[in-house]
Amino acid sequence: MAKGIQIAVGAIAIAFLLGWYASDNLGEDSFVYYQTLNEFRANGDAGDNARVHGYVATGSIERDVQSQRVRFVVQQEPPHTGGTPDGGLSVIYASLETPDLFKDGAEVVVEGRLTARNGAFEATNVLAKCPSKFEAAEAAGEVPPGAAR
Amino acid sequence: MADLGSFALRLALLIALTGTVTGIYGGLKRRGDWSEVARRSVLLLFGLLTLGMGALFWAFYTNDYQLLYVANHSARSMPTAYRLAALWGGQAGSLLLWCWMVGAYGAAAVTVNRRQTTLLPWVSATLSANAFFFLVLLNLDLVNELPALVANLGLALPDGFGIDVHTHPFERIPAGTIVSDGTGLNPLLQHPVMMIHPVMLYTGMTGFAVPFAFGLAAMASGELGTAWMRITRRWTLWAWFFLSIGILLGGRWAYEVLGWGGYWAWDPVENSSLMPWLAGTAYLHSVMVQEKRDMLKIWNLVLIGLTYSLCLFGTMLTRSGLVRSVHAFAQTEIFGQLFLGYVLVTVIVYFTVLYVRRGELKATTHIESVMSREAGFIINNWLFMALLGVVITGTLWPKLTDWILGVEQTMGPGFFNLLGAPIGMTLLLLTGVGPLIAWRRASPANLRRQFLWPTATGIVAFVVLAFVTRDHLAWMAVATWAIGAFVTATISQEYFRAIRARMRRGEGIGAAFATLMRKNQRRYGGYVVHLGMVFLFIGFAGAAFNEERLENVAVGEAVEMAPYRLEYRTALAIPEQHYGGAEARIALFDNDRPVATMRPERRMYWLEEQPVSVPSVYSTMTEDLYVVLTAIEADGSATLKIYRNPLVNWIWAGGWTFVLGTILVMWPHPEGRRQEP
Repeated sequence: MAKGIQIAVGAIAIAFLLGWYASDNLGEDSFVYYQTLNEFRANGDAGDNARVHGYVATGSIERDVQSQRVRFVVQQEPPHTGGTPDGGLSVIYASLETPDLFKDGAEVVVEGRLTARNGAFEATNVLAKCPSKFEAAEAAGEVPPGAAR
Repeated sequence: MADLGSFALRLALLIALTGTVTGIYGGLKRRGDWSEVARRSVLLLFGLLTLGMGALFWAFYTNDYQLLYVANHSARSMPTAYRLAALWGGQAGSLLLWCWMVGAYGAAAVTVNRRQTTLLPWVSATLSANAFFFLVLLNLDLVNELPALVANLGLALPDGFGIDVHTHPFERIPAGTIVSDGTGLNPLLQHPVMMIHPVMLYTGMTGFAVPFAFGLAAMASGELGTAWMRITRRWTLWAWFFLSIGILLGGRWAYEVLGWGGYWAWDPVENSSLMPWLAGTAYLHSVMVQEKRDMLKIWNLVLIGLTYSLCLFGTMLTRSGLVRSVHAFAQTEIFGQLFLGYVLVTVIVYFTVLYVRRGELKATTHIESVMSREAGFIINNWLFMALLGVVITGTLWPKLTDWILGVEQTMGPGFFNLLGAPIGMTLLLLTGVGPLIAWRRASPANLRRQFLWPTATGIVAFVVLAFVTRDHLAWMAVATWAIGAFVTATISQEYFRAIRARMRRGEGIGAAFATLMRKNQRRYGGYVVHLGMVFLFIGFAGAAFNEERLENVAVGEAVEMAPYRLEYRTALAIPEQHYGGAEARIALFDNDRPVATMRPERRMYWLEEQPVSVPSVYSTMTEDLYVVLTAIEADGSATLKIYRNPLVNWIWAGGWTFVLGTILVMWPHPEGRRQEP
């Protein structure tokens, strides 16, 4: 199997080369940790890049058109299952460009870093998922909402 | 009808099992009668699956909301076309569509090749086994019937036995409930492209089941010549063709619907369709080396096995929710485990058989020179595999880091772009170099004759383009375009020389072209495919010059983005039944000349409780102006996200060129004789 060894050596050499090139050229910004809010609270440090998963606290969204900012609070558990904003993370997103699904109770992932100054999370990106009520009901095969009308 | 469809799927499970068992038995014992049973099982299987599909279409058409799947994916207010396309809008229907396609390919393959008696039982068995797995998923709810069955025998299963799955498309909602309307389809899927994109993708992915089955049949039966490869050449091209179109349409849909200004985000689901494409493309190239030089026999079998495994693996990855993706259907654990088991069994069976047969697959020749066509093909394969490795690593990175470090670490698009761009550019360069080098060993004279003019063209293009874009110089983009110019020159030179040679013999230009296509279809059609790739890369490189802005404008105000001016005139309410919202009217001026009215929309789908932004695009061959209505603010002003994306149209043009080229390669010629690759 000399040929097999040749191929393996070649493949490893290429992988090594690519890996070296990648690690040399990718800044720390390219790697992002994905954590739930509680995990982030437990081991996140100010200044670290993070992707934090949570839910938008009901009534917390403030759009400031003048300064082009959106502020909101992210909480661990979804509001419609009784989650409260206690211990929530206040997020400042320096953009008005929020995703379609971004609203009260939406499942969100905020990317950015915690600022040491005021403890707020400065988001560079906000991703939102379908309201889990809809998806969860579907996955559980419950009779759809609005049935039996 | 629904009961009939349900019954058809239950019965199909048995038939698929029959086809698998009789095929293996017929193949092992070389018994023609058993093989024939297997062959007919495949035909019957296709019939039953067609019945199932028909029944489900009918349920959607007639608004049969007593079916859970229909109620969850359709609604009366949706247009009929979307109601029908909702069949593949969710898990159960997608599985059925996939399974039906395997059945359709199986029926076609065993009918066309019915005289291939040695390979056929194994082909029937392989395809039946693949369909069988999907039928197990489709009928998984039968597990919940077990307690009642066992009770009849006077036994009892432990309490709480049963699984919570809803993959049977004909599952009914609980008795006594009446549902008059469904909850509708995900609004993002209510788009014309979405009606065909999944079908194209599935046509491609399931299509690879045919060459995979023939490859496995060749190994199982010991018919290790090129027969399996020759038989499946067009099938493979066909599958590859549809997979490519599916990927392109997916990009188009993302661009027109998702409203983030781009067409490719390296999302796991996109990657999962790209992975088999990369392996399949490598395979299409390396088969030519085996046909011509009788080398790479094991490698080709590895590649086709890899391609099909990646089709399954990618589907599992996204459908089981193993990797976080916007596209993943919410799913239960048992489903993911079963799917993973299926992928593993497929891979293990295939590669074990290959390992057993490895001794009989020795090459009769070897590479004579690095300056040869076969060496070019091998470099091409290495590059495709490297790219595949990059995509797989990046896609699975969150899972790998989760297992090893205990924390999920996500790899951004930066990783893929950083490594993908140089590999992609080298591959593009090879599309120009490879086809022009002679087989076995190229002489210096051959190289000079072939590359003098194209190389000069590439260098001139590089200098000129670097000068033109000197204000925002992006070396990678300029290099990509220069490589594009080089490749275009090689292709033009090939066509020019070949047509000139024929015209000297008195043929007209049209006739000369037709003869070329007939006599050397794969070569000259292949050049057109390569040209499509050049266009695609020209478009990709345009992204180096993308600009984006976020603006808040009051009615009557304008945004200046030289040479454009966008005047926000008014916002109108949308008078649709199924959704509401606002449409902004923006007058677009190019150098003060009015060119278009842009109408980005922000919709709210009532039933689905989901807002959707529909971007408006003003598109030319030089650039796209892409406007998203992010919000109508409380004070009546509009928040607009404006993207300027150069050269995006080249990507779609490349797609069309690619389609044309592949059709030229596949086009059947009645008198088709042996073709030179």
